[in-house]
Amino acid sequence: MGPFDFAAAAAAASSSSSSSGSAPKHPPDLDGLLAGAGYKVRSSELHHVAQRLERLETAMVNSASHIPHLASDAVHYNPSDLASWVDSMLSELPHSSSLPSGFPDPYPTALGCGWLDPCAPQPHQNVVVPQQQQQQLTVVAALEEDSGIRLVHALMTCAESVQRGDSSLARSLVEEMQALLARVNTSCGIGKVAGYFIDALSRRLLGLGSAPAWTYENEVLYHHFYEACPYLKFAHFTANQAILEAFDGHDCVHVIDFNLMHGLQWPALIQALALRAGGPPLLRLTGIGPPSPDGRDTLRQIGLRLKELARSVNVQFTFRGVVASRLEDVKPWMLPVSPKEAVAVNSIMQLHKLLGSDPNRDPPIGSVLPWIRSLNPKIMTVVEQEASHNQTGFLDRFTEALYYYSTLFDSLEAACPVQPDKALAEMYLQREICNIVCCEGTARLERHEPLDKWRARLGEAGFTPLNLGSNAFKQASMLLTLFSAEGYSVEENEGCLTLGWHSRPLIAASAWQAVPSVVNSPTGVINPNDNNNQL
Amino acid sequence: MVHHHHHYHCKEKRPKFCINDHVDVLAEILKRLDGRSLCLAACVCRLWSALARTDSVWEHLCFRHLSPPPPSSVRPVVSALGGHRRLYMVCIRPVLGRLGPSRSAELPWRVRSREELQLSLSLFCVDYYERLGSGSSGGGRFGDGSATAPSSLMFLCKPVNV
Repeated sequence: MGPFDFAAAAAAASSSSSSSGSAPKHPPDLDGLLAGAGYKVRSSELHHVAQRLERLETAMVNSASHIPHLASDAVHYNPSDLASWVDSMLSELPHSSSLPSGFPDPYPTALGCGWLDPCAPQPHQNVVVPQQQQQQLTVVAALEEDSGIRLVHALMTCAESVQRGDSSLARSLVEEMQALLARVNTSCGIGKVAGYFIDALSRRLLGLGSAPAWTYENEVLYHHFYEACPYLKFAHFTANQAILEAFDGHDCVHVIDFNLMHGLQWPALIQALALRAGGPPLLRLTGIGPPSPDGRDTLRQIGLRLKELARSVNVQFTFRGVVASRLEDVKPWMLPVSPKEAVAVNSIMQLHKLLGSDPNRDPPIGSVLPWIRSLNPKIMTVVEQEASHNQTGFLDRFTEALYYYSTLFDSLEAACPVQPDKALAEMYLQREICNIVCCEGTARLERHEPLDKWRARLGEAGFTPLNLGSNAFKQASMLLTLFSAEGYSVEENEGCLTLGWHSRPLIAASAWQAVPSVVNSPTGVINPNDNNNQL
Repeated sequence: MVHHHHHYHCKEKRPKFCINDHVDVLAEILKRLDGRSLCLAACVCRLWSALARTDSVWEHLCFRHLSPPPPSSVRPVVSALGGHRRLYMVCIRPVLGRLGPSRSAELPWRVRSREELQLSLSLFCVDYYERLGSGSSGGGRFGDGSATAPSSLMFLCKPVNV
């Protein structure tokens, strides 16, 4: 079971749907996709036809000597009527009778019956003929994979109809897909991911735009996601390495964390600062976080814990918490920085939330990046999902997301994390999926953009890239070898590091330096137009 | 046999050699054991148990292969975060196990390196931080009511798919 080639499947689906856009509508009982290819097959007969095609193939393989006569002597039906054509072919071949007539049909036609697991012993297998068993197993596996591919095609078609505004077709497709789901193994692979996307689509069609009432707090899910797979650890360790190197030689340092959560990133930095040559600096940490729902002052608690840790390792540490539900609500005056200290701004998967477009306003990132610059940070570490989920077209976004999250779920699967980490990590991802598929406008926060776009955006805003360096790469590689799955790969991309699964990058870490634009001259006059690099 | 017997009677004044009388020698020997043997040694008697639990013995075990040896600033940090024995058990042993001979040496880290040391220490620190949280009285680790043990390093305990 490997990741499905969604790019190809999606391309095929979208090209067939776009080409049939102007063609006459096909009768509803014919399978639309095969019809697009020129074959008329009833949807209800699809699996029978598939089964017989398999038999035909096996028979032709076994009776190679008889085939030439088929080409010259026999009369065949029009192959576009696939069902009757394959029947006639089968009746022509002598070996088709080798399959006993009492052959039980292991593929129930009624929808809603679960698929037989190809690896499980098949209950109605009375005749123990190894070749037959092998044929059955391959056909079951092929049909299950076939169902998976059909699911993907159905998802694409549904997304395309959503984009066109055809809600009734979309709804019927959702029902069809939910039925298909019953025939696919939903505990792993395509079945599981498809389940989440179908759920999200149905939410969208029902108009439940906003996320439903989640039982678990986001922080809890985040923590389990941290433990289940290496992405967040990679983000933290890589950012810390860059910050550590930037703080070299400074005695007063200040870190601003855009999303403190439980502060898991900072113990390692505190410890590294404690052990650095020349002794630890004075460390200030400003943690930004949303208000906690039950009124507890979580930020302060986290700050106290970090302070205790810092005290144990003899690092002078002060903490300040800034409560804000959205990053754009934070104003520069809430983050006082002293000119003597080296400032590091740390954003782990937060900047993409600022790309939301209200048609009347510019996206908030336009106001946030300048105030980050005004803090004059020595370094800004940015970690973002390496995906293009902010496209205007729904179908494109949907396709990208399907591919991305399938890869992500595959990697979770292979890393075999312990429960409940895995289940809760999946819930964490499910929220992202829901947000991408169901929400629009300002409600859609998960607007992931790939590294190239971030490079352009940050470059325009007056940031220059900093190379992450070989130490960060070595550390990341070492971190990966500690994980039990072999598919993770760290790659270097023009000074940035990406972590991916089987050569598909999934998360990208980069570091930036602000080009100072505001210079306080001794007379107190601020010259905002002075763009010279005066350091 | 007869010679031995005769020798035994002549030996009354010379005390039998007992390693427990030479604690410094014993400590030097214990320092050179591997982790498992050290734990076995701790079961022998009370003296051995006390010695085997001293942090300096485990410190030696942790950094035995590190050349040059770690700076002196490391010791107080490790002690503060839980001690060298915990560092060995929780971080170094699993790390070494993963980075050991089963992995192809693309990067030269068979012998313990500074980077491995740094990574082990960072993970150890995260572990300490999580234990700080689970010890708090605020109803479990993150206020979700479930007092789970620190599991950030659980991934190190999982079997490796080689």
